Amino acid sequence: MTHDAHISDPMAPDWLDGLLAADAGEARSAYIADEGFTARVMHALPARMALPAWRRPAVMVLWGIAAAGIALALPGAALDVVREGYRLLAAHPVSLSGMAGALLCAGALTWSAAAYALRTSD
Amino acid sequence: MPSPEVSDAQLIARALVGDDHHAFAELVRRHQSTVRATLRKLTAGNHALADDLAQETFVLAWRNLKSFRQEARFSTWLYRIATNCWLADKRKRKEELLGDRDDAIAEDEDGNGPEGAAVQGDATHSASLKLDLERAMAALSDGERAAIVQCYHNDLTHEEAAYVLDCPVGTVKTHVLRGKQKLKLALAAWAPEAT
Repeated sequence: MTHDAHISDPMAPDWLDGLLAADAGEARSAYIADEGFTARVMHALPARMALPAWRRPAVMVLWGIAAAGIALALPGAALDVVREGYRLLAAHPVSLSGMAGALLCAGALTWSAAAYALRTSD
Repeated sequence: MPSPEVSDAQLIARALVGDDHHAFAELVRRHQSTVRATLRKLTAGNHALADDLAQETFVLAWRNLKSFRQEARFSTWLYRIATNCWLADKRKRKEELLGDRDDAIAEDEDGNGPEGAAVQGDATHSASLKLDLERAMAALSDGERAAIVQCYHNDLTHEEAAYVLDCPVGTVKTHVLRGKQKLKLALAAWAPEAT
């Protein structure tokens, strides 16, 4: 734009900056009285979901029942899993070379994991 | 104006943890003036609309208080919500109110341009200048007006204004620069004589 050709630094303060600053200063010093504004805002706030007083003990009781059920059912279920695992292994006899291979793999994995865990950072 | 004996952060914590309405009410009391003043600037002096938007701002602040991470001042966070409310409202209203306001200002002016006002008394001179500034601000684009309001009226840094306007710092600087160029053109009659 030609009217700005003479301006060397467009961000440098000028008469308009002074005008805007004066206007802003005037507005800042003029405190807007509340006049019920806060009350209107507080009235318009959405109500928090009110939880009934019995909710907490009811949840505790339900969790207790669930925990007791798990505690009673788990030993039987765990035994069933072990029994099924043994039955599967027994049905598929493992060869000596297969066992050696599995042991080698396990050893290599353990050694790698130990080497990784004990590595020193430079 | 209420004295800030308790910090904003303490009041926010009380409002969050204890669901303390009184703490939030104190926050509203502390910041209502600046938020309403900012919105009055953004809405080109439409006080009723500004107050509606300010109310919406504080309701949104209450709803989203948990998401306030203290990465900025609480007032800056409020300016951000207020600016978003204003932009959303503008999109909804499609500038109808701005046109109405321009008409109202034109009626108030009663045919006195800056040249006419310049020869009157100091109070009239100042009022006319203020009115012209308001009109010139209203003619800016949303981004330019918001950037100038945040940087000058709210005295924010470019970085803080970028946070409020949710845009890069470079965009804020461009908006300010372009806005000022337009304001200079619109207020050319008020410019001091070049020596």
